Amino acid sequence: MAELRHGNLTRRRMLKAGTGAIALPFLGIAAPNLLAQGVSKSPTNVLDFTTNADVAKAEQEGQLVFYCHENEAGTAGIMEGFNKDFPKIKTSYVRAQTGALYNKILSERAAGRFDVDVIQLSDIAPAFDFRRKGGYEHYVSPESSAYKKDHLSEPNGYFFWTGVDPAGIAYNSEKVAVSDAPKGWKDILDPRWKGKISCKISASGLQFVQWYTLRKIYGDGYWKEFAKLQPRAFDSRVQLFDRLSKGDDMITAIGEYPAYFLFKSKGAKVEFVAPPDGLVSTPLVVGAVSRAPHPEASKLFVDWAMSKRGQAWYQSNPNLYYGSVRTDAPAMPTGVKLSDFKLLYPSDWDEYASQSATFLKEWNSMLGL
Amino acid sequence: MGSWFSAQKVAGYGVAAIAAVLVLYPVYFLLQAAFDVGDPQIRPPTAYGLDNFSSLLQYPQIMLNTLMVSLAATVMALMFGSLMAWILTRTNVPGRRLFEQLMAVPYYLTPLLGALAWSLLGQPESGFINGIWRAFGGEGHLIDINTPYGIAWVMALFEGSVAFVMIAALMKSMDPSLEEASQVIGASRIRTIMQITLPLVTPGILGAAIFVFAEMLGSFAVALVLGLPTRYYVITTAIYQMIQQYPPKIQVAAAMGASLFAVMWAMLYAYRRVVISGSYVTITGKAFRPRLLDVGRLRYVLLSICLLYLFVAVILPLGTLFFASLQKIAVVFPTAENFTLDNFRTAMAMNAVRSALSNSLLLAFGTATIGIVLMGLLAWLIYRSRLPGSGLIEYIVMFPQAVPRLVFAFGLMWAWVVFPIPIYATLWLLLIAYLTVFLPLGVRTIAGVILQIDKSLEECAQMCGASWAFRARTVTIPLLRPGLVAAWLLLFIASVRELGASILLMGPHSKVITPSIVESWFGTSSELTAALALIQTLVVALAIIVLVVVTRRVGALSVD
Repeated sequence: MAELRHGNLTRRRMLKAGTGAIALPFLGIAAPNLLAQGVSKSPTNVLDFTTNADVAKAEQEGQLVFYCHENEAGTAGIMEGFNKDFPKIKTSYVRAQTGALYNKILSERAAGRFDVDVIQLSDIAPAFDFRRKGGYEHYVSPESSAYKKDHLSEPNGYFFWTGVDPAGIAYNSEKVAVSDAPKGWKDILDPRWKGKISCKISASGLQFVQWYTLRKIYGDGYWKEFAKLQPRAFDSRVQLFDRLSKGDDMITAIGEYPAYFLFKSKGAKVEFVAPPDGLVSTPLVVGAVSRAPHPEASKLFVDWAMSKRGQAWYQSNPNLYYGSVRTDAPAMPTGVKLSDFKLLYPSDWDEYASQSATFLKEWNSMLGL
Repeated sequence: MGSWFSAQKVAGYGVAAIAAVLVLYPVYFLLQAAFDVGDPQIRPPTAYGLDNFSSLLQYPQIMLNTLMVSLAATVMALMFGSLMAWILTRTNVPGRRLFEQLMAVPYYLTPLLGALAWSLLGQPESGFINGIWRAFGGEGHLIDINTPYGIAWVMALFEGSVAFVMIAALMKSMDPSLEEASQVIGASRIRTIMQITLPLVTPGILGAAIFVFAEMLGSFAVALVLGLPTRYYVITTAIYQMIQQYPPKIQVAAAMGASLFAVMWAMLYAYRRVVISGSYVTITGKAFRPRLLDVGRLRYVLLSICLLYLFVAVILPLGTLFFASLQKIAVVFPTAENFTLDNFRTAMAMNAVRSALSNSLLLAFGTATIGIVLMGLLAWLIYRSRLPGSGLIEYIVMFPQAVPRLVFAFGLMWAWVVFPIPIYATLWLLLIAYLTVFLPLGVRTIAGVILQIDKSLEECAQMCGASWAFRARTVTIPLLRPGLVAAWLLLFIASVRELGASILLMGPHSKVITPSIVESWFGTSSELTAALALIQTLVVALAIIVLVVVTRRVGALSVD
């Protein structure tokens, strides 16, 4: 019923539905899943969450295939958490960076292969595209009532924010005195950081969000000034903090809070700064895939991932440490809740997604690519 | 006559057809992508054009960087490879058998691990060597591994071992009487090396040079680990960025890969010209007893060279990784509380890694065993048979070497995902992929040895009435045995360490180990990665030892 509550018919939604319908033949989708969702049975309780999935059927299916952008350890961690609660469902996964992963799933579907049950992406732009192409199964989880509308697909039922990755500024405390450390986003433009500052490559969804949001606040010149510092760009947050903790870089312009916590707990001499303008944040989005080989297991996974139980798992796994956007989310292992931070998101996700090509061009060019 | 000719034809064309399908089928999809100017997310393409190729002009610095690093690494690899091959196969240096075995270690240590180890050693700020340098009063840094020459050095050490294997196989098969004759008539040792040994191994070295250069062009892990900190991009790291981002620029990456075909063909053409213009036969019908060159006291100097090479390519990197794997955060002077065994505990507890390791060993065994038959036949077809079109097969076989595997993997994925037999996302797909991408390696290694076998030996057997199959079994294969064993091991190791193609082609139930280690480096820590790599190295080393022992026992039994 949830889709009816949010189901106001607008011009934009009509257009989106139209695009999705056009894409259907390419994706081998026989009928709009929206229609198939019409009748849903009442939710059942399992463990400490509710689900519309038939648990017995899901266990009979016996498998769940997960495509995920997250690193190997993180992806394995997510599967481990689900498998712990549902040992009769054998989990397997494929992981790759969002760009390659998304191309892989599209190529497979174009060839008539439907091997995936659930997909998790690190950027909302491909999720919009996948939604338009009819790639997501429409499934409204009973757990979605614990989420704000902004953290669910529009309309609800295609994907949701399984977590948020917030980033501030981080520095090596042996190389940088507290008094010299940057306090806000403007401070990282100081010429003294030239050749000693790091950032992420253009494949990072979070880097895209940072580029977009800080450009909105400080204007186009902000990143031109940043480019003069000749920043070094890396793939992952672990690489950034690995270099930072060893003193190879003095500061990182995109210090992810989960990585800061991970390295701090290992005894690294790193410190975290939360700029007054807010922490740039990107959502990690999860959705069940249409024509999934194990449809009940995929629904059960979505419910589990959305549940307080699943969110606690996402938040406490050292390889994930995602902040939960559930309205009743527990605190993170550091004792703070995501809601304690001021977060910086794009105010208009559609406009954000439309800037993808500009970001890629500018960022790659800044890095000499 | 009719029957042997038919058998030869059937085997020749049969194997050529298999190779052509393996290579041309994915190449078709790759070329399709290179000319695809439509929506990158829609397959098959909706529009064709040359835009992807013209956009390559935007990357002159990357092309220049790639050429510079690849050339420097090739020159270094050939110097190390030739010198070590000569010392270990042609001189009486002490402990040469042991050294020869150890020479393969840098190759299966994997370039990623070599790069990680040297990154830990040679970073200007945190590098262990520079830390020790400063502890002894030095200022700044002693070495900087993030420079183009630092990158080339590590590439040569860890990707260039293949040059040693190829050149050593040649030198082993060389008749020493030619060198002895030179010395008998008064030529010095140096003159003998320059005028007899080197010219004889020229085609092999040229073949190795082309192969190593192509390998360096496609080298990824070293440039990724050591180049990024100084924003030094090469083609593969640029391609990596293009295919990871959203939306991925796969068409431009495919065009970049396809344009490398032209470079490879030009080099192959030059190689064939050199081979055709000279005679390099050294294994003839005349019996010879391999004899080593007595280099006198010089052997201790040569021993020092061997020790030094193994120190920088094996002992120092492995020691560094071990030291790093025992720490929470790897530093040169750790405090007591920084030491931990957690990295090994975590590595051993990772289920995915355990299954990936056994999959890798299984695949490596399959690839090496099937590959040696397929590639041996191909090498024979190209260099020994007089079948029409055999030259063309060589060009086809070299295709996969021309394109970085990160890109070729897309061709393989598109090709096999639409294939009616459901092998996609299984170990069978990886087996096919490995057999395809390692065709150039196997064929080139075996070809170097085939070129040295005098055709008259086969012709003699033919005149005695031996069938083609009988000749192959009793004459050609026994003569090729040292080269075949070397090629088998090379394929085994290359399969275990394969990265570029595996990343994209692994299915949920067909994981292999090297991508898992790369993932660990990206996503966990360099210390845990070091532990994983050491475990992988140990398991692969044990597997190789077992295989070598079994092979020797079986060989000894068959002789008895």
